Amino acid sequence: MKHKKLKNNLTAYAFCLPWFIGFIVFTFFPIVFMFVVSLTNRKLNGLSNFIGFANYVNMFKSPTFWNSFKVTLFFTIVMMIVTTIWAVIMAMLLNYKQRLNGIFQFCYFLPSVVPTIALAYTFRTIFGKEAGLLNAIISMFTKETVTINWLYDTQTVYLAVFFITLFTYNTGQMMLIFRAGLNDVPIQLYEACDMDGGGALTKFFYITLPMISPIVLFNSVMGCISALNGSFALLYPLTGESGDPNGMTQVLSLLIYKEAFSNMKVGYACALSVVLFFIACSFGIGIFMVSKKVVYYEN
Amino acid sequence: MNIAKMKKHMVEILIYIIKILVAIIMFSPIIWVFSGSFKTLTEFTTSSNIIPKNLTLENFEYIFTKSNYFIYVRNTVILMLGTTIGTLISSSLVAYPLARMEFTGKNIIFAIIIGTMMIPNIALIIPQYIMFGKIGWLDSLLPMIIPAYFAYPYNVFLFRQYFRSIPKELDEAATIDGCTKVGVFFKILVPITKSTFATIGILSCVFWWNELTQPVFFINSDKWRTLTMALMTSFMYTSGNAFVINWPSIMAASALMIIPPMLLYLFGSKYLVEGIKTSGLKG
Repeated sequence: MKHKKLKNNLTAYAFCLPWFIGFIVFTFFPIVFMFVVSLTNRKLNGLSNFIGFANYVNMFKSPTFWNSFKVTLFFTIVMMIVTTIWAVIMAMLLNYKQRLNGIFQFCYFLPSVVPTIALAYTFRTIFGKEAGLLNAIISMFTKETVTINWLYDTQTVYLAVFFITLFTYNTGQMMLIFRAGLNDVPIQLYEACDMDGGGALTKFFYITLPMISPIVLFNSVMGCISALNGSFALLYPLTGESGDPNGMTQVLSLLIYKEAFSNMKVGYACALSVVLFFIACSFGIGIFMVSKKVVYYEN
Repeated sequence: MNIAKMKKHMVEILIYIIKILVAIIMFSPIIWVFSGSFKTLTEFTTSSNIIPKNLTLENFEYIFTKSNYFIYVRNTVILMLGTTIGTLISSSLVAYPLARMEFTGKNIIFAIIIGTMMIPNIALIIPQYIMFGKIGWLDSLLPMIIPAYFAYPYNVFLFRQYFRSIPKELDEAATIDGCTKVGVFFKILVPITKSTFATIGILSCVFWWNELTQPVFFINSDKWRTLTMALMTSFMYTSGNAFVINWPSIMAASALMIIPPMLLYLFGSKYLVEGIKTSGLKG
């Protein structure tokens, strides 16, 4: 019997072997290595000396870092909220049974599978100062010539950037998932609410939202990760490595890229990566802590 | 009663109008891309018409003749196929014991896999860059393709979800017939979860078709650029003292990049849409 169990264990480990090697080589080792390099003044050409915690000291003294830190938190949280709400709205619209829903879903979902880079460049022209689509539309309604440079104006840049996040893969993915989740809410609950005279809002906040909360939770975790991860592909072509205007969109991933490849300070970039790593960890842990309190699980 | 009916009618119409508005908002960038791709550079930079005044094909001509477009297509296809084949094989193998076997340390392994799912790739990309530089993989597709053969946590997670939904009695029956665990996997599980492989394969292809971050970090030279990178860098030139971004060509290249996912949605939405739905449901 013992022999059989051992054999069973060994078979299972053999199946897990590819993951285990991958984990050690491509995840665990880079994490350790990242900490080590962050203690050196390594340059892009490979020269490096041990300098202790000097990178961290410089980092915590640098206003650019603190700005980037704040922008990262702000961008991640707001993007998560904005895209989740928009996805719920679209899912509820599509779940309202009417004709042509197939075509509507096509229109709502297609932008999500458009490459982020194509999306970013498209919006650079839509939000452009001259011959931009948005300014043209506003001009049409107001009969005045509007020349707002949406992505370079400190007052409009966030509006423009978060609007663009509505078109990312993350939003489309959540929309489809919420559609499925909303369909699973038992119809009897709504009927019961009808009998008690509950309105549309009561139904939404007391039935729909609690019932889909586990899905919302799971997707906000995934949304967080993709906001941290995807911000580079979206913002780099949109506002550049310095996060124009005035670093207002310079999330940590952009700063890491800039320090490593433009300023060639790889050691310092690793110290920044360590911070990003911990931000990701704390987001993950934080969301699960919150979930224990507010999420409703059926079982 | 009549009033109630009318009210319901009004609500229906109102929702229709909202739906159409949202559709216009969501679809406008795609229309803008396609319209822009047929404009001349002068028209693109001076007017914002949706319908081009004088339709031109010069942008597509420019892409195909003045840039190494076919090399970029080749690289993207190699990247897509290389990573997708790799992750399908390795992730399904790893997911199998996690979904259908009892063994010591199973929970710890699964917890680590979920934990690593949470680490954004961008946080580890600099140490990986140094590492791949040391073994001479930089400026090639290897830093992206090779790791795919060692199981992506997210795909392991997805495979596990699907594998768990298959009745366990099948395995037991096969074991009684003298089938080994390896045999169960290849002879029973893989054949009945073919559509799972298709789904995860398609999701992986969509991901790598769109991926920009990793190529930007790992690739330098033109000969290994992917389409996404080319879109970002290949359509700008200096004319005299002026730095010119050839916007309509970028639009044309974007339009070409949108077409494959669009066709995929139209003809393979069973796998794409169903796959995405399952990818986010708690199980």
